[in-house]
Amino acid sequence: MRGAPQFHRWRASACWSIVLLVISAGLEVARSQDPSLEYAVKATYLHKFGPFVEWPSAAAEFPGGSFTVCIVGNDPFGALLDRATAGQTVAGHQIAIHRLDRIAGNPGCSVLYATGSQAQPVADILAVVRGMPILTVTDGDANAGARGIINFVIADDRVRFEIDTHVAAVDGLTISSKLLGLAVHVTGEGR
Amino acid sequence: MKDAPTKSAARGEHPVKPRSVTAHATLRLWRLTPTIALATVIALLSAGALLAHYVDRATERQEVDEVSVQARVLAATVTAAVAFNDRHAAQEYVNAMRANPQIEVSAIYDAGGMFVNYRQTPDTALPDTVQPDEPRFARDRLVVTAPVTEGGAVLGTVYLRSLTEPFALRLERYTVIGLLMTMASVVVAVLGATHMQQRRANEELARRAEQLTVVNEALEAQIEQREKAEEALRQSQKMEAIGQLTGGVAHDFNNLLQVIYGSLERLSRRLANGTLAPNAEAARFIDAATRASERAATLTQRLLAFSRRQPLAPKPLDLNALVAGLLELLGRTLGETIRIETVLAGGLWRVFADGNQLENALLNLAVNARDAMPRGGRLILETQNVRLDENFARGVEDLRPGDYVLVSVTDTGVGMTKEVVAKAFDPFFTTKDIGQGTGLGLSQVYGFVRQSGGHVRIESEVGKGTSLKLYLPRFFQLEQPTVDEATPLPVPLGSRHEAILVVEDEDDVRKFTCDTLHELGYDVREAANGPGALQALESNPGLRLMFTDIGLPGGLNGRELADEARKRWPGLKVVLTTGYTRDAIVRQGMLEAGVELIVKPFTEADLARKIREVLDR
Repeated sequence: MRGAPQFHRWRASACWSIVLLVISAGLEVARSQDPSLEYAVKATYLHKFGPFVEWPSAAAEFPGGSFTVCIVGNDPFGALLDRATAGQTVAGHQIAIHRLDRIAGNPGCSVLYATGSQAQPVADILAVVRGMPILTVTDGDANAGARGIINFVIADDRVRFEIDTHVAAVDGLTISSKLLGLAVHVTGEGR
Repeated sequence: MKDAPTKSAARGEHPVKPRSVTAHATLRLWRLTPTIALATVIALLSAGALLAHYVDRATERQEVDEVSVQARVLAATVTAAVAFNDRHAAQEYVNAMRANPQIEVSAIYDAGGMFVNYRQTPDTALPDTVQPDEPRFARDRLVVTAPVTEGGAVLGTVYLRSLTEPFALRLERYTVIGLLMTMASVVVAVLGATHMQQRRANEELARRAEQLTVVNEALEAQIEQREKAEEALRQSQKMEAIGQLTGGVAHDFNNLLQVIYGSLERLSRRLANGTLAPNAEAARFIDAATRASERAATLTQRLLAFSRRQPLAPKPLDLNALVAGLLELLGRTLGETIRIETVLAGGLWRVFADGNQLENALLNLAVNARDAMPRGGRLILETQNVRLDENFARGVEDLRPGDYVLVSVTDTGVGMTKEVVAKAFDPFFTTKDIGQGTGLGLSQVYGFVRQSGGHVRIESEVGKGTSLKLYLPRFFQLEQPTVDEATPLPVPLGSRHEAILVVEDEDDVRKFTCDTLHELGYDVREAANGPGALQALESNPGLRLMFTDIGLPGGLNGRELADEARKRWPGLKVVLTTGYTRDAIVRQGMLEAGVELIVKPFTEADLARKIREVLDR
């Protein structure tokens, strides 16, 4: 059988090609995932979700009178978030930023960006605010239990997001169809 | 076109009829029609232009509205895409505008400038930045912008550029509208012209109908006139026929009465002078017979008068004087219950008529008037100068237009119906009881007036009264000196030296006449006809007077005989006699000079005086 060794040789070269492709792709992603740019985009997004989400009450949307963005866990933004929200308003309300290590009970947030920490992982944070009218935002985690209503993902080198309308409904929030239209994936649709 | 007879036409004037006002107006309208049509066309075209402009603006507004809505819809849908910088999603939204082929460009700008865009053709130019602005048109393009807002924040701007209909295309469409308008104008103009023409035709028709009506009326008037004339002719023929009949009868009666009356006269004279033995009873009988024959003579006179064959002795007359002279007699005749009024015209023309007969006629009419007013009333005698024109004369047989003197006798009595008026002149027609009237009174008046060249008519209204109008022709000649009628003398006698020839075809009458003349003392010869008379004249040169009947047999009547005799013996005097005087009344009823007339029946005294008068002249 003279053909078999040839076939094997071809298969081997193909495998190599794929490996090379994967490697090069991985390099591309790694290059695009410049942490500072990615988080700068995410920092602007956090308060921009506000107009596309409907809270059950004004008190829920503006606890303490301000559109409150909470960072629970490690803060990946640093000054980026403060720069992104500087001078911005949401429906005429000022934007307040709360950085919290952990939470227990209602933290009084409009948007809660859960990054988690050793002390309180993301899933715990989400569990605490479950059922509260708070727009939870997480970073792409394979673990479904650690996803907020909005979950950032990287797609086509761009910061995109997934939306879980089911959880949103449980929390008493309504997401605008315009925002749903931009989502990479919507969970709970057609329910 | 034939005009109906009018006074102006009768005067020979034929005024030019002006065109009717409506015809004039129509003509003016007709001349204005092109102007009107032009004005209509201009108005329609202006309306078309206005309409086109309006449609244009409306279309523009609609386009602006449509594109604005699309811009706003796009702005509302792309908010999230702009907010989250999702060019991919935004591109899909702007690309959706491809569905509208009018959209040349759809683009979204954000704070950083051009965000995404869609272009129909790749080389279409785009502005670098766009600010929200009012919609605007530029070079067949409509540019509309709409702000992209979310939650009160302006995220960017939608920019839509729409292709509008090119001006050439619009012009083409408006040209079509213009053409339609022009065609409409032409139709309007043609309709107007047709209408105008139709109106003209209608007016022409109306005019012709009017003409026809006029012609028809003229025709009807002519027919009516002809019928009247025929009626008048029939009436006159009837009167003529009756006249012939009555005239003939009266003539014969006159001859008979002449004999009867003369014999009675002679008898009574002989009783009076003793030639016969006086006998009172005989004298009474003679008186009765004489009165009866006198009445019979009156009747025959009336019959002759009606038949226009009574001998007339017309003279120039003043009717005012005649009427005035009648008043006393009328007052006595009519009684106290009737008041007599006279209306006598000043400057009255004279007439030429037989005064006695006219008095007789007026008396007759007055008596009729009295009978028509059994409870009294008024009798008006009126004289007047009148001019009878062609119109008046046309309906009357033998009447000439001209100057007449009218004498009318009017009463306030019971009046007459139309039927009675129509027959009033017929002889023997009477409304009076049997024995009350002869039915000859009006007939006599009629005959007399007609014979005098005049006209008589009756105007009557039942319950109001009757007016008899006698029109006698005006007399133009100078007045002849009137001869005072001498008071009747005793019967003048003749002598045996005065020889008279009596010519009469009827033996009885001739014998009677000869006897009478002989008794009067004349030398009398006789002849039965014209030739016999001429022979007698030939053989008796001493004959001074010929007394002849007019109606003679043998080819030579009395008149011709007289002419012949006077030609041959100029000194011969002639007295004509007749009971039937048609032939005696010649040349307007006047006798020739040198010829005298005595009418049968005559009395012995009449004859004696006439003969004496002629011989002594």
